[in-house]
Amino acid sequence: MTSIAPFHGFGLGLRRTHYADFLEGDVPVDFVEVISENYMVEGGKPLRILEQVRAKHPVILHGVSLSIGSAHGMDHDYLAKLKALIDRIEPLWASDHLCWTHNSAHNSHDLLPLPLTREALEVVCENIDRAQTALGRVMLFENPSSYLTFPEDEMAEWEFLSEMARRTGCYLLLDVNNVHVSAQNHGFSAQDYIAGLPLDRVRQIHLAGHTPGEIVIDTHDREVCGEVWALYAETVARTGPVATMIERDDKIPPLAELLGELDHARALAAQRIAA
Amino acid sequence: MSALAQVQDAMLARILDEDLPLLPGWTPRHAAGLAVYRNNYRSALVEALRSTFERTARLVGEDSFERAAAHHVITHPPTSWTLDLAGEGFDATCAQLFAQDPEVAELAWLEWAMHRAFVARDAARLDGAGFAAATASYGDADWAGLRLRFVPGIALRTLRHDVKRLWSDRDAHLLEEVACCIVWREGERPVFQQVPLPEGEALSAMERGASFAEACELLSGLLGEDEAPAAAGAMLARWLAEGLVETLAQ
Ligand SMILES: [Fe+2]
Repeated sequence: MTSIAPFHGFGLGLRRTHYADFLEGDVPVDFVEVISENYMVEGGKPLRILEQVRAKHPVILHGVSLSIGSAHGMDHDYLAKLKALIDRIEPLWASDHLCWTHNSAHNSHDLLPLPLTREALEVVCENIDRAQTALGRVMLFENPSSYLTFPEDEMAEWEFLSEMARRTGCYLLLDVNNVHVSAQNHGFSAQDYIAGLPLDRVRQIHLAGHTPGEIVIDTHDREVCGEVWALYAETVARTGPVATMIERDDKIPPLAELLGELDHARALAAQRIAA
Repeated sequence: MSALAQVQDAMLARILDEDLPLLPGWTPRHAAGLAVYRNNYRSALVEALRSTFERTARLVGEDSFERAAAHHVITHPPTSWTLDLAGEGFDATCAQLFAQDPEVAELAWLEWAMHRAFVARDAARLDGAGFAAATASYGDADWAGLRLRFVPGIALRTLRHDVKRLWSDRDAHLLEEVACCIVWREGERPVFQQVPLPEGEALSAMERGASFAEACELLSGLLGEDEAPAAAGAMLARWLAEGLVETLAQ
């Protein structure tokens, strides 16, 4: 698969607290996103649940451990397990982040930032090529939130992402909240960032809440804030119809509350795309 | 080593160890950003341990657990891509940190074994009828060489405390005799059972590839020649009935 058709819909991340809602009820979402690693297991209940959810909804596999930024390369066992999950679930697409998570010895289980250098761009593109070849499909990669930038940076993150997408044919998962968080932390304009991206490569948008402070932190533990909604409205006016979802990973409220937020996204998108 | 590899090694080392000096050219602003990553790293791992070892945490209390988990994260920085394995070896960490209270390590072992069994490979079970059919034409030599493959996720260890009370009530009730705990998965649900030590030893031997004849010999040594044959037969029937056996091993 060398291209991914746009999918216009609104979805939510599948979280354990909402399993029963999704299994027993009829949840009004157009797709469900799951954390790939939670289901990259040998067997047992998690896979059975995912298969039941998949029977009802299109599924997106969103990973956190591919580590396309690792100078030491990616983990073969990881890629094989991801491929097996993809074959089993037949997702709309599989995604991960522009980040690195491990070196040759240890795994941070966190989305660590890359120096935005030509050298890092080479490494990232080479790893994406390998991953896409191994999986037999193109992927989406997400802009991370970051809490530091490197003295050796040679380009802006949006330039890095643009070049990465151009060279590898990958698509982008644009996390509007992450743009806002990094813009606050590093003093760039969120609007410039969005304007600098090849928006025709964006196949999905993430929305989430963050914790304000001296360093703004991407906590996914509260509702989407006004500034991020405004940025979403501006963005979707330019991308056109695009898969949009809300991420909530902590202090997870009842599903109805998240569906309410998702309705707001639907309304904003309808309004801005029509205009 | 490439410049990127050097930066990554240096940054990860500083996430793992806060006492290392800042990198050249890094400012207090970088240090503050790095502290966010270090905090994310530690809290994600401690949180993973807390969710796997929920009962152990309640047994020792929140503060003690937090210290033990933090110690484990420092002494066993994760190497696998999956956070699911972050608790590997935590029972040994508990054995060391709670040396006066061996029930802590026993409960941690049990929670870890249940955690692993939960996502073990799905497999068919060989029941009594299936076993009878598969061995219907067995001669003496076949019986002597009989070996079993046990279900994925099976785990065993000897325990000094009543495992049921430890699991349900977090009550450290010392057993009169050391027993063996078996963990496996029934359908989607991890389960455990406490069995007498001889049975545990026989199962452990067969799980590592010993033949049924060798297990019988082991039982003879532990129970005496008179009791062993009947005990071996009853034991095998129970394993099949409980769903511990996947298939005959060739
Ligand atoms: Fe995101």
